[in-house]
Amino acid sequence: MAAVTAEGPRGGRLVLSATSLIGPATVVVALGVIGPLLILFRYSLNDFDPRMLMIDALTPKNYIEFFTDPYFLAVFFVTVRVALMTTVICLILGFPLAYVLARTQTRFKNLLLIAVVVPLFVGNAVRAAGWMTLFGSRGFLSMTLMDLGITTEPTEIMFTETAVIIGIIAVNLPYMVLTLQSVLEGINRNLEEAAFSLGAAPLTMVRRVLWPMALPGIAAGGILTFILAMNAYATPVLLGGPEFRMMAPVIYSQFQLNNWPSAAAVAFVLMGTTLLLTIAASVATRQRFRD
Amino acid sequence: MTGAAVTHTGKAARPGFRLRPGRWALKAAALVAFIYILTPLIFITWLSFYSQEIPSYPPQGYTLRWYGQAIGNQRFIDAFVISAQVGILATLIGLVIALPASLGLARLRFFGRGAVNNLLLMPLIVPGIVLGFAIYVMLVEVAIRFEWNMLNSFGGLVFGHVLLVVPWMVRLIMASLAGFDRTLEEAAMNLGANRLTTFRRVTMPGILPGIVAGSMFGFVASFGNLELSLFLVGPGRTTLPIAILQYLQWKIDPTIAAISVLQIIIIAVAMLITDRFVKLSRVV
Repeated sequence: MAAVTAEGPRGGRLVLSATSLIGPATVVVALGVIGPLLILFRYSLNDFDPRMLMIDALTPKNYIEFFTDPYFLAVFFVTVRVALMTTVICLILGFPLAYVLARTQTRFKNLLLIAVVVPLFVGNAVRAAGWMTLFGSRGFLSMTLMDLGITTEPTEIMFTETAVIIGIIAVNLPYMVLTLQSVLEGINRNLEEAAFSLGAAPLTMVRRVLWPMALPGIAAGGILTFILAMNAYATPVLLGGPEFRMMAPVIYSQFQLNNWPSAAAVAFVLMGTTLLLTIAASVATRQRFRD
Repeated sequence: MTGAAVTHTGKAARPGFRLRPGRWALKAAALVAFIYILTPLIFITWLSFYSQEIPSYPPQGYTLRWYGQAIGNQRFIDAFVISAQVGILATLIGLVIALPASLGLARLRFFGRGAVNNLLLMPLIVPGIVLGFAIYVMLVEVAIRFEWNMLNSFGGLVFGHVLLVVPWMVRLIMASLAGFDRTLEEAAMNLGANRLTTFRRVTMPGILPGIVAGSMFGFVASFGNLELSLFLVGPGRTTLPIAILQYLQWKIDPTIAAISVLQIIIIAVAMLITDRFVKLSRVV
């Protein structure tokens, strides 16, 4: 992609160098992403000794260990389970809000959208802190339940999988809502009216008209929230506590234990699993879409 | 279940009447999701006004003094300054390389264009924790092979954050280039403007919203980044999100809540400004 010739406005030939325009950004991103990932993959094939630390080798040991060691397997299944559960709940919770935002005529629509967008950019640690004030044994939730006489003992949600799931849903819900909202906005309202005038009940209309037409958006939103949940770091660290392990925090803790080869292998298992499940989901929805 | 619904409502009266309860249920469900999204922000804001230091409910009273504590906390001031410096530098460097790249990608047809486009968006796809770790091991290799130690340096941190900024810039600048009417450029050139003048006086103002939005999103992405920075910060040099995380791993109190609220306000203001240039819901 050396020199590119483009037809100039006045019919004259204007020669622009694509290299000089896109070169710097391409080099920076390649050096900052592709290069490091290749080195990291090479590290994942190295050996590790607690005293010698990383030893040059070419072994699949770290990957085999991940899929045979009960500790890592538990981490793996917890991560996938949490990611799947949060994705399904995000879809169920997000669809009505996305639909209302897509169809509303109020002049506050933009303000409502900003209220959905701003939490996205407030750090995950800050949002986890909000849940921490709710979840503690003397927090809002526990005390309110006792005040209402529903429970007599303090409710301890903090440092459980439930707390992590609740936290990740709040983190991912805006992504799901915004993805669905933009797709639903593109669906002609007359199609809904047509279904109603042909006697369809609202739920039938959703199932037979909205759902199939929104399926690409549902798949996109589901895949996005699933990836984000798989990679979650701050939420499981703060709401799950030291005993609760998901893959991203495990990468960091293996790194801190100086076991770089193992941390690198976990990193590639995380990316590989996410990629495989994402491809499976998009193939499945595309086939459904064709039927 | 749905089959039953069909037979039931097939006999129902007029559509307007039939829809009412459904409409209310829909709005109620939407409200639940809306409140869910805002719940953590509401509770952290509430905590920042508690008068007692222990975050037990109900609060014994309300005070503003934690905001004074937050503003006077040297650790968080230092972290804030580092985050701001890194964010601004990364945004400027990102702009210098991403603006020409976006122009090239939007206007030129060349071999490998799609691949370059995907490459520039890649930092958004690779998990932050993996990207941070990968950059760290690359800096280790650079230090060993070229005896150039960038590990845990300010430069290394800025480099990592440039990667976070570039995809947002490329996405938003290319989006505004796609909506730009090129006949305006032809008109300018017909009137005798040269290519530089045309770019400066016609193209730039036209895509300014994209540039502003890209810079804002890039800055916010850098300012709020936690995972990548974990691997790149050095001793005595912490970013604000890491300082907040480390504090929360130790304890939660109204001081950290006040700091969180100040951060929320900064980001909300940045987003409201950005929204004047591009519709936020269109770009996330």
